[in-house]
Amino acid sequence: MSKIKFSFLLISILTIFTLLAGCGQTQEGNASSVSGELNFYTSQPDADAEKLISAFNEQYTDVNVTVYRSGTEEVISKVQAEKQAGEVQADVLLVADAVTFESLKKQDMLLEYKSSEAEQIPDSFVDSDGMYTGTKVMSTALVVNKEKVSEMPTSWKVLTDEGSSGQVVMPSPLYSGAAAYNLGVLTRHDDFDWEFYENIQANEPMITQGNGDVLKAVANGEKSYGMVVDFIVARAEADGSPVKLVYPDEGVPVITEPIGIMNNTDNQPAAKAFVDFVLSQEGQELAAEIGYTPIREDVSAPEGLKTIEEMNVLDADINELYQNRELDKEQFNQLFGE
Amino acid sequence: MENPNRREVMPTLALRSLFSHKSIIRILAILAICVIFLLPIYRLIMLSFTSDGNLTFANYTTILQDAATWQVMKNTLIVVAGSTVISLIIGVSLAWLVAYTDIRAKRVMQLFIVLPFVIPSYITTLAWTQFLGTDGLYMKLASLLPFSVEPINLYSLAGIIFVLGLSHYPLVYLLTVSVFGKIPRELELASRASGAKRWTTFRKVNVPLAMPGIVSGGFLAFLANLDNFGIPAFLGIPAQINVLSTYIYQQVVGFGPSAFARAATFSVLLGMVALIGTAIQWLFLRKSKRLETTIEDKQPRYFLGKRKWLIELIIWLFFSLTGVVPLISMGMTSLITAYGVDFSLQTISLENYQFILNTSSKAKEALGNSAMLAGVTAVIGIVIGTAIAYLRVRKPNFLSKFTEVSIGLPYALPGTVMALSMIFAWMEPVPGWNPGIYGSIMILFIAYITRFLILQVRGSITAIMQVDLSMEEAAHVSGAKGWSKWRKILLPLLFPGVLTGAFLVFLSALTELTVSSLLWSSNSETIGVVIFGFEQAGYTTYSTAFSSLIVMLIILGFTILYLAQSYWNRKVGKRT
Repeated sequence: MSKIKFSFLLISILTIFTLLAGCGQTQEGNASSVSGELNFYTSQPDADAEKLISAFNEQYTDVNVTVYRSGTEEVISKVQAEKQAGEVQADVLLVADAVTFESLKKQDMLLEYKSSEAEQIPDSFVDSDGMYTGTKVMSTALVVNKEKVSEMPTSWKVLTDEGSSGQVVMPSPLYSGAAAYNLGVLTRHDDFDWEFYENIQANEPMITQGNGDVLKAVANGEKSYGMVVDFIVARAEADGSPVKLVYPDEGVPVITEPIGIMNNTDNQPAAKAFVDFVLSQEGQELAAEIGYTPIREDVSAPEGLKTIEEMNVLDADINELYQNRELDKEQFNQLFGE
Repeated sequence: MENPNRREVMPTLALRSLFSHKSIIRILAILAICVIFLLPIYRLIMLSFTSDGNLTFANYTTILQDAATWQVMKNTLIVVAGSTVISLIIGVSLAWLVAYTDIRAKRVMQLFIVLPFVIPSYITTLAWTQFLGTDGLYMKLASLLPFSVEPINLYSLAGIIFVLGLSHYPLVYLLTVSVFGKIPRELELASRASGAKRWTTFRKVNVPLAMPGIVSGGFLAFLANLDNFGIPAFLGIPAQINVLSTYIYQQVVGFGPSAFARAATFSVLLGMVALIGTAIQWLFLRKSKRLETTIEDKQPRYFLGKRKWLIELIIWLFFSLTGVVPLISMGMTSLITAYGVDFSLQTISLENYQFILNTSSKAKEALGNSAMLAGVTAVIGIVIGTAIAYLRVRKPNFLSKFTEVSIGLPYALPGTVMALSMIFAWMEPVPGWNPGIYGSIMILFIAYITRFLILQVRGSITAIMQVDLSMEEAAHVSGAKGWSKWRKILLPLLFPGVLTGAFLVFLSALTELTVSSLLWSSNSETIGVVIFGFEQAGYTTYSTAFSSLIVMLIILGFTILYLAQSYWNRKVGKRT
């Protein structure tokens, strides 16, 4: 390859990208008692976090919120690494499930804050010590490919049916926080127990890293049935993907994407205002608008999703789940690691 | 062969001519290497010996006693060895064909050869699984055959090896092709005239002389295969096959206070595998010879004759399968309104592109950030990487070897672990002092340089090993010293090889994902982070649209370059 060729290549690529380089934006504003920087770490999809922050900024114009977004496990890894390196940078944290927050609580990393907005939220979704509060309701249900399956299943047992052999996909609890929560809850229910997972394993399931991959495998017809969080299916269904969301009769495990404040935050007023906003009626209506089932009883769920009252919730003791999460994962790894 | 030690005095002149205060420079250089490359690794190694705040071997004893560890090690070795062999075979074969034969459309071929490096690996794997799946094109074609064909299961060790090997052969190709071109045809003719057959000539003349390129490329492919997370995650997790990179990630995301120490311990084990690889490449390179000529000879040496069309057909089929099919599959997904709907006139729309270009400010910011990060990293790499490569080749002492190994390690570590150790190292480089590097875009610059400098060093080493010391000596004899020697003799000779390295650095940094995904902060999103964000949120149509856009930009860059070059050639009136 000639030198001219390469130099042109580098220059032309560089030029194109530089021309396309976007413009950074800074939020400016005034008139509010709350101000300053706020570091928000979350596992919510980017676009959703962006909408949340711009709505928050309409009320609190002086708070400059910076976001770090990734999967729950990576967000927590980053927070843990920051802790070991000296100082946690996050002020407010919003990630998948209560069990994750329970572990942070046990490590004494959270600030106690009982938001007045939490009165409208069912007690079971609010930490009794005020360390974290659920922000939405996200159940794990069945996703079915409409083109490959004509008769919609009504039970989780479809995953263990002999007829479903080779047609099942689910996320790995070793990588997905929601899947680890489901594993904990389901194996503690008499209807399911470990036998449920053993029978799934007999069907030679595909185990993906995350929920998005489950949806993809079912949407593109690679598999017929998947175990997956409800809202991504409802969205895909609304967009026209050939998938159907089914809430099994036995009930569904539910995670609540709790929000909490890190105890070494240097902007408590802004952090508290942010938590209040997320839990407020306005914040919850925004969540519903984006496509989540809200956690407040006075806000209704978006189309295609059930509200919390309509759901038959399968749950288990949070503390027990927290204590046993590593063991559950280990056991799963042994069962599926053959 | 001459004894290199006898000539050891001379090369220092070349550097002394650049820096007069050699000892100061040397001390500063050692310091910089220690801080940038070794500090994160040091923190990692210390962590692997820590349990409950005490120094201990406990992590190693538990991990090495666990049977699962050995299964993972075994898988890793099989996968890395297999995929590196595939990368070598494809890379060297293509380099030979392009360098020596009268095959047509070589420039367009180069573009297709670079493609696997540009397409994100999850797109490649997705395309392959769709192609080979039970409802895929492969089975549909196979059903037309008179005999029955078994479906190919990609979710297996063989599948991982296959896709990894295909993704990393460009590293071998790029470092080998110009080396082949520089081997003087007179040597081959001499060998043929002495009665050696073609194959013997290739084995005894071309291979030994091309060794620096082949080994450098093979080594980079080896490191890339060892570190790659996307492919073994996508194909291995469903089949419950773990390799070191996925296993370490699993430990990290298993969090809890003990997980980092376990992950660090596994990373040290992985580093050992990388060191073994370094030792092997050293064994190969020890015997390699330098070349007298330095001009790349681009005229064909072998005429394929009647077999030409067949070989061209095979090559283009190969490119269609490995480059075009994944791209088309990606492009089709980016045009449909919802994932999973059939591709038809009713479902096609440009709204995903509109979202990327208009609605989402993140995509534009990410393009700018990544372009700047990749550009700066490439430029810094050219200067520092080439200086290090020069020292490594001309003064092969302990210090320069140590430098090379230190620079290679961060490329071999899994991205997640490397990012975590960067947090440990840069949040408070000196206890109690937080310079604000972590949390700003600076951390990404440092991380990219730390991670990708080895690509430049290997590219430049290959280039420098092609320039015989006698060229420098001739320059001295003729009175060229100092800067003028570099400007007039060395730089023009090294330019193509150095730019190959810069090109690899630029492309790697442009689409980097795993390191950025832990280190980015608001306003420093990179292309990889944004694509992965869409992907994780289930917006596959957006992620494929953005990926397609990147690929189009790169193809556009190539096209501009191609046109400019043709125009230049016509105007100057010379043939290439």
